[in-house]
Amino acid sequence: MEGLRSITRKLDLQHYVVYLGFLAIFAFFAITLSGDGFLTTRNLSNIVLQTAPATIMAIGFVFVLSAGEIDLSFGSITAVSALAGAVVMQDFPMVIGIAAGLGAGLAIGFFNGLLVAYLRLPSFLVTLATLGLFAGLARSMTNLRSIPVINDAFTGFFGSGALFGIPSLILWTLGAVIIGHLIYRETRFGAHVIATGDNPGAARVSGIKVPRIRLAVLMISGGCAGLAGLLYAGRLQAAKYTLGESDLMTVIAAVIVGGTALNGGKGSVVGALVGSLLMGMLNNGLILMGLSVSDQMIVRGLIILIAVAISLRDTGR
Amino acid sequence: MKFKNLIATASIMAALMGTTAHAETVGPMGEAATPSTTIQVSDDKVAELKAGGYKAALLWHDQSDFVNAVTLGATDEFKRLGIEVVATTSAGFDAAKQRSDIETALAKKPNIILSLPLDPVTSAAAFKEAKADGVKLVFLSNLPKGYQHPEDYAAIVTDDLFQMGKQAADALAEAIGGKGTVGWIFHDATYYVTNQRDNAFKTTIENDYPDIKIVSEQGISDPARAEEIANAMLLKNPDLSGIYVTWAGPAEGVLAALRANGNKTTKIVTLDLSEPIALDMVGGGSVAAIIADEAYELGRAMAAAGARALVGEETPPFVVAPAITVKTENVADGWMQSLKRAAPDSVLSATK
Repeated sequence: MEGLRSITRKLDLQHYVVYLGFLAIFAFFAITLSGDGFLTTRNLSNIVLQTAPATIMAIGFVFVLSAGEIDLSFGSITAVSALAGAVVMQDFPMVIGIAAGLGAGLAIGFFNGLLVAYLRLPSFLVTLATLGLFAGLARSMTNLRSIPVINDAFTGFFGSGALFGIPSLILWTLGAVIIGHLIYRETRFGAHVIATGDNPGAARVSGIKVPRIRLAVLMISGGCAGLAGLLYAGRLQAAKYTLGESDLMTVIAAVIVGGTALNGGKGSVVGALVGSLLMGMLNNGLILMGLSVSDQMIVRGLIILIAVAISLRDTGR
Repeated sequence: MKFKNLIATASIMAALMGTTAHAETVGPMGEAATPSTTIQVSDDKVAELKAGGYKAALLWHDQSDFVNAVTLGATDEFKRLGIEVVATTSAGFDAAKQRSDIETALAKKPNIILSLPLDPVTSAAAFKEAKADGVKLVFLSNLPKGYQHPEDYAAIVTDDLFQMGKQAADALAEAIGGKGTVGWIFHDATYYVTNQRDNAFKTTIENDYPDIKIVSEQGISDPARAEEIANAMLLKNPDLSGIYVTWAGPAEGVLAALRANGNKTTKIVTLDLSEPIALDMVGGGSVAAIIADEAYELGRAMAAAGARALVGEETPPFVVAPAITVKTENVADGWMQSLKRAAPDSVLSATK
């Protein structure tokens, strides 16, 4: 056991678990579902399209976790943003609708951030409360009704459109991952986020404005959730209060499996992308295997458990 | 959770049909209801279907007892017709997940999709791809906005909601001897399914039973508050002959209120099968009857409608499955007829 542990440590297995896991599960589905359409271009691109909103939420979540905070409210932000965009677009042009959607996300992130950074309330409790608060707001905004989005430019831009044959949702995913990765890895801000999560006291001593970092990461999370809401609205050509509600667990799993530490100081945007695709691929493959819904849930849970166990082993969590 | 199905079912129908009670259940475009028993696949078509190597996908809105029974009805019928069920999904009431489920299932190239569209607005775009692929769509209770029969879908199958409410009225009237006072606990929300059933009860009592008076009307939106509401109702009307409760969940609270008051005379009628309610009924308690739908038959009729469309046979746009009045004497049969499953042991042993 000790020998195995030293080998895995040498290979830094945890670092690559998401990539190895992704390849292993991909290979498994590719072989077992070869006759069931798993490997078709349409199915593979579906996986990327279906996970696009969750991937973008996951990018925001990487920043929040890396700074040693958590945001449980992003699902509700997604719903509020989608509805805000859809409602505004009924009377105003697309640009104002987009601004309303993203603005709602940023504003809620700002609200979370103020409470966490300046009132010094724990982010777990703040966002647990705002999760409910904004879920309720999303429901009351439209009285539980779904709001259709009939703006073709919008649904093309955020949902069903394509540029040079590449679906817009894939472009959004790629764009968000590249920008997120660059900010996280290549900027001073990214380094400050990681330093804050690693050791807030030391970060403060070294001159980092810790409250400002905390406010910023929660706004990034809110902004990402807002963008995810617009993508959902584009994809479904409608907004509904349930959007984003069920993504919390998927996104947390994707981010943790992707190598971001739950208690801050370490993370990976690219890992979160692969983690998110892994979750989407699991959903997809288990359905194609013809499993019953309950069995799909059991198998998915077990695989996530194994992946998380491997990725958290020896990292001191 | 049967109630969640009601919520899901509610949205589009409310939009399509308005909120007024109809004298009978009619379709989204005002189509007359066709009884589900008439949706059959003839023997000569069975051979054709078996030879076709056809596939079906069941893309549900959620998981529940009700969905399980619908699934069983559909799978049994598909098996008989030699149609393979290649994918089963549950969207957990998430419209985005339902869209993803449809796309994923299409990779297996199903010829028939049975589904409960979560709501008319979001599902209109979600089913577009399936429609474009020429898949025969059979919907449970809801219809995506703007879809036309028969080019866009084969049929909508749903419960006979008016009958359920009417049979509840008839059962309560019988239990109290055709005269007296009753309380009406209705679902206080704009949900088509519950609204239709509740109003059908009220209309039937008012029109068909001149000696029965509805003396108390109480809306309920949170089932957990049913006991309080029933207590208040009984306080004001201690000699109520009967109470109608909109569905089994709140009826359990009403039952608790009657027991706490030591009331052994007021009769309860409610809708949807539930073990505690049935147990009280078979033990000679306050519950006089339970009105259930035929979930298994809904599934069977959906499968048959899809199969008929596949071989080019006509399908009616709007199909309803009958309601069953379940009383002590038919509890075992009623349970079997509704859910294709034996009644719970506790209920069966109490009838012996």
